[in-house]
Amino acid sequence: MTMPASRVARPSTIEEAVRLLADNGPEAVIIAGGTDVVPNLQMKLFAPRVLVDIKPIRVLQGITIAAAGALRLGALTTLTEIVGSPLLQASYPVLVSAAATIAGPLQRNMGTLGGNLCLETRCLWYNQSHFWRKALGGCLKKDGDVCHVAPGGKRCWAAWSGDSAPALLTLDAEVEITGPRGRRRLPLAQFYLNDGMNRIALGRDELVTSVYLPARTAGRRGIYHKLRIRDSIDYPLAGVAVTLEVDRSGVCREARVAITAVNPAPLLVKEASEWLVGQRYSAELVDRVAHAAIRTGKPLTTSASTPVYRREMVRLFARRALEEAWKNGNA
Amino acid sequence: MPDRVNKAEITCTVNGETLSLKAYPMARLLDVLRQELRLTGTKEGCGEGECGACSVWIDGEIANSCLVPVLQVAGSEIKTIEGIATGEQLHAVQEAFISCGGAQCGICTPGMVMAAVNLLERTPHPSETEIRMGLAGNLCRCTGYMKIFEAVVRACQATGVKA
Ligand SMILES: Cc1cc2nc3c(=O)[nH]c(=O)nc-3n(C[C@H](O)[C@H](O)[C@H](O)COP(=O)(O)OP(=O)(O)OC[C@H]3O[C@@H](n4cnc5c(N)ncnc54)[C@H](O)[C@@H]3O)c2cc1C
Ligand code: FES
Ligand code: FES
Repeated sequence: MTMPASRVARPSTIEEAVRLLADNGPEAVIIAGGTDVVPNLQMKLFAPRVLVDIKPIRVLQGITIAAAGALRLGALTTLTEIVGSPLLQASYPVLVSAAATIAGPLQRNMGTLGGNLCLETRCLWYNQSHFWRKALGGCLKKDGDVCHVAPGGKRCWAAWSGDSAPALLTLDAEVEITGPRGRRRLPLAQFYLNDGMNRIALGRDELVTSVYLPARTAGRRGIYHKLRIRDSIDYPLAGVAVTLEVDRSGVCREARVAITAVNPAPLLVKEASEWLVGQRYSAELVDRVAHAAIRTGKPLTTSASTPVYRREMVRLFARRALEEAWKNGNA
Repeated sequence: MPDRVNKAEITCTVNGETLSLKAYPMARLLDVLRQELRLTGTKEGCGEGECGACSVWIDGEIANSCLVPVLQVAGSEIKTIEGIATGEQLHAVQEAFISCGGAQCGICTPGMVMAAVNLLERTPHPSETEIRMGLAGNLCRCTGYMKIFEAVVRACQATGVKA
């Protein structure tokens, strides 16, 4: 397959990139590692006039210590760098656990954290060739006016299918966004809009420049579990991230559970912290939280596996991840 | 409608040789290698990043050349399957693929070899799991993988494979 002809701009500073985005409006699309955007271009899901290649922007690379002991991950940090980072392995194991399951080794070499946080949402009816989609008359998200997943509604249910976002939600991470009006920081939970068509709170003239992991969540036990068709290389069909802080006597002091690939956004399971903090491990309690996780998830027929199966896997993963993190530390 | 886009002048190094070539910025690295440079060892399987048939090294890291607009490799160092042997002397991994029957139709083979050599350059004594993980981005529809796996084990046998 070929890509639509576009100009490729290669800015070397954030300011230059922002200017290119502002000048070209909806005609510009950012490319970083390209592992998500290139297949989508080939399927003619969009045909930008300018592709803004942010890879030459040096300051977007690398993992550094920031103010107040926070860790800053540049948007261009690759998934391979995350998986191999001794600092992250020691302090934020849930992120390493999740990043290691993203795609396969080749895509992890190319794919960036920024790209992973800004992925297009995915759906059986959307991620198809131009020919395939045209034969069906398009869908709500692209070239049509019917959602084939929920035909009565006016809402797009394409699933958020990234793996690092749920892990970062359980670490209270923040994203730094830069645009013509400067930089702003947003809790990651507010970055996701839970709308298949308008997935993230990012202006056309903005880019994600960094991710911050706060010092207070360093050292939390954590693990990520994911369902996929091929275990060597595939997007998630359901995923659960868990972080826990457990004191010496076995009492939970902090807890987060987040789910992915079963809604148009990665979502925190709100009840988890409320119900787990102050408690000791019990199978009943873990079951109750796992049940809350499947009530938060709303899998629909956006993928080839059934919603019922994906729901049950959310329950199983939530239970398993909580058990592992509670009993075995970093599992 | 997208504007008319002109070819761009791109300088990069391919298998040790520094080249200057003219290509459309959005041409895939895969196509430039195969069609402009006539390096047809690199194969196209899926064309969407799923199979690894198009694996090459970009600045020492293995990557899918079907996912890379060629302008992105300006200034980079590329290695393709043609750069693995030394003249007529095949690489130990290539020899092992032959002696173990690690290739059938051959479409996945250049990518498999690129992944295996890359793995051994980083990890000369990989464990079995490391071998499996190192080849996880490369699909094969013919061999059932075991002979490929055995070929990689044999290639590093001189010094033995970690348990
Ligand atoms: C076969 C295959 C399997 C995959 N499996 C998985 C998987 O299991 N899990 C998973 O999460 N992903 C998967 N992916 C997708 C992808 O590899 C990763 O999500 C990767 O992290 C994307 O990063 P990138 O740099 O390649 O993004 P790109 O493709 O460059 O960009 C992705 C999107 O983000 C935007 N973008 C990129 N950087 C920024 C930025 N700094 N600011 C604002 N917008 C930005 C782009 O405009 C684009 O819309 C898979 C891809 C392939 C080809
Ligand atoms: S052709 Fe590039 S991954 Fe299949
Ligand atoms: S030998 Fe045919 S695909 Fe591997």
